[in-house]
Amino acid sequence: MARQMREIIWRTIRAISTSVLFTRLAKGVMTVFVVMTLTFFIIRLMPSNPIEIYINQLVSQYGMSFQEAKNMAASLFSIDMDAPLYVQYFSYLGNLFRGDLGKSFLSQGTPVSSMIAQFLPWTLFSVGVSLLISFSLGIFLGMTMAYRRGGILDNSLSTFASFVSSIPNYLVGILFLVFLGVRWKIVPIMAMRGSTSPGIQPGFTITFVKDVFFHATMPILTYVTTAIGGWMLTMKNSTVSALGEDYVTVAKARGLRERTITVSYVGRNAILPLFTSLAISIGFIIGGSPLIESIFVYKGIGWVLWSSISTRDYPVMQGVFLVITISVVMANILADLLYSKLDPRIKAGQG
Amino acid sequence: MQATATKTAPILSTRDLWLEYSNRRGTVKAVRGITIDLYRGESLALIGESGSGKTTLGLSLIRLLPGSGRVRSGSILYEPDGRTQDILSMSEEAMRRFRWQEIAMVFQSALNAFNPVLRIWDQIYDTVKAHDGMSKQEARKRGLELLKMLQLDPERVIRSYPHELSGGMRQRVLIAVSLLLNPKILILDEPTTALDILTQRNIIDLLRKIKTELDLSMVFISHDLSLAAELADRVATMYAGSVVEIGPVNDMFYRPRHPYTVGLIKAVPTVTGDYRELFSIPGSPPDLVDLPSGCKFHERCDRATKRCHEEEPELVPVGDGHYVRCFSAT
Repeated sequence: MARQMREIIWRTIRAISTSVLFTRLAKGVMTVFVVMTLTFFIIRLMPSNPIEIYINQLVSQYGMSFQEAKNMAASLFSIDMDAPLYVQYFSYLGNLFRGDLGKSFLSQGTPVSSMIAQFLPWTLFSVGVSLLISFSLGIFLGMTMAYRRGGILDNSLSTFASFVSSIPNYLVGILFLVFLGVRWKIVPIMAMRGSTSPGIQPGFTITFVKDVFFHATMPILTYVTTAIGGWMLTMKNSTVSALGEDYVTVAKARGLRERTITVSYVGRNAILPLFTSLAISIGFIIGGSPLIESIFVYKGIGWVLWSSISTRDYPVMQGVFLVITISVVMANILADLLYSKLDPRIKAGQG
Repeated sequence: MQATATKTAPILSTRDLWLEYSNRRGTVKAVRGITIDLYRGESLALIGESGSGKTTLGLSLIRLLPGSGRVRSGSILYEPDGRTQDILSMSEEAMRRFRWQEIAMVFQSALNAFNPVLRIWDQIYDTVKAHDGMSKQEARKRGLELLKMLQLDPERVIRSYPHELSGGMRQRVLIAVSLLLNPKILILDEPTTALDILTQRNIIDLLRKIKTELDLSMVFISHDLSLAAELADRVATMYAGSVVEIGPVNDMFYRPRHPYTVGLIKAVPTVTGDYRELFSIPGSPPDLVDLPSGCKFHERCDRATKRCHEEEPELVPVGDGHYVRCFSAT
């Protein structure tokens, strides 16, 4: 009886440990751990440190003497910067296992986790909406281009797509800011700062939703403009090659309706290769774009990352990087599992 | 060419059909003035080298010429039951319904003939849905029946994705699917070319079975003469976009008259036949953009005379239903 039990337990363990999901998750955990360790040491290798930067700020902003500033900084920071790096690392690791991401150096005593919880939703919202718009619009335009390849529409859209996809998004952001906001004054750039207007009540009210979209307009516009070109071009190529497949000709010979062929023969197969990049983009949603969020002063996680880098707020930087890593790894696992569902030729775990 | 050994009325005929493609170098004259009849219940084989216009002719019968292909002149008439329809003047929607319902085509590349992300059943049902008239249950029953007829394990195959089937199985599934709507005409474009020799044998046997069991007219497009010899009632040799010889299968193989047909037959190795040196036709098929003068075959012909350089011969009768386009054959 006991032997049988043991055998059953062993078999279950073996089944779990060889299952695709388990191996993928194990690999994922390893990746997160390695990246976390690397970031821990790399950010501490960056020149300068939070205290020095703070002292310099005090000196330049308030005209304090160096000594005064140093005393003030010391009283504010309860960090032991002199402890050996490995000691700091293991204490960080220990806290992490208890789910404690540490506290910000500069926003005295604010836990990193609550900062992430406060700023992350705004990034998820703005980048998520942009991804949705640019992906679906890009797919649609890409297919249209492929169906009309060689025509005026295709040529002009291709030119547009390769132009916008070759400019870095922060440049586009700066151009929008300068021309739409400052020169031509088409958009009230100052009123759009922040993620909501001050004093507005959060909730599912029209005023609130409108306000949220109002503040996210410029980042969304920038993301969509720069991301759509890539989706368009990839989808166009992928559709063109799907159109040349024999099964499309055979489908025509079988007398299928044009719509059926476009959707389930051409579109369905053309979109498959785009899923990997979509999943990777979803992973990077969390990272947002520090530069775009800083340009438009949109207070999301990217903005937090950007300001924590400039003040060397180690725990915040690390917390944000950790969240980004986890989300990218998760998105990849998801993509892998999803892909095997979408394409019967691929078995999960082969990718 | 109207009078042939077959007594029944034609079900499909082309009348002086000219088909061409445009490419960077100019106009490719793929099919040049073909007039040919397919009789009810007969099987006709079109043989010839690659680039002789066989496949282009086949595709034009269901108006599926690729990309830059177009009909320059001529007509294709479909006469299933007394009334005549001109395929080239049908509307797009009528054409869509016509395909597979009246003329089905089995393609050369069966390996890629099915959408890789849909199960065989989905693709069977797709086809049926596009042509109303059969319920889902009926479609399933018919699908299983046909798969069984093609010696496949119907319940397993119908649930499979294309990649789960071997090349030979996929070809058989495609043949089964082609019979789904009981078409009157089946066009088979190189049905055995991509397969190994044993699978080829198996497909030929199945096609013979289909030929005897079902009331079908068939067009075989092939460069495989043994396929033509086994399955066709009549054989037409195509060269540079036109028919150079047509006749009943026995006449064609035992008494070929055109030097090109003679060459094609001599070029086939025999396993059991006498030992002889394998023959090959010298030279290569002519450039379809810039065709030679006179008889298009004269450059490769050992019987060519001065007349062959200057004048293109007409298709003339040399026997009962046997016609040839050659000066020296008459």
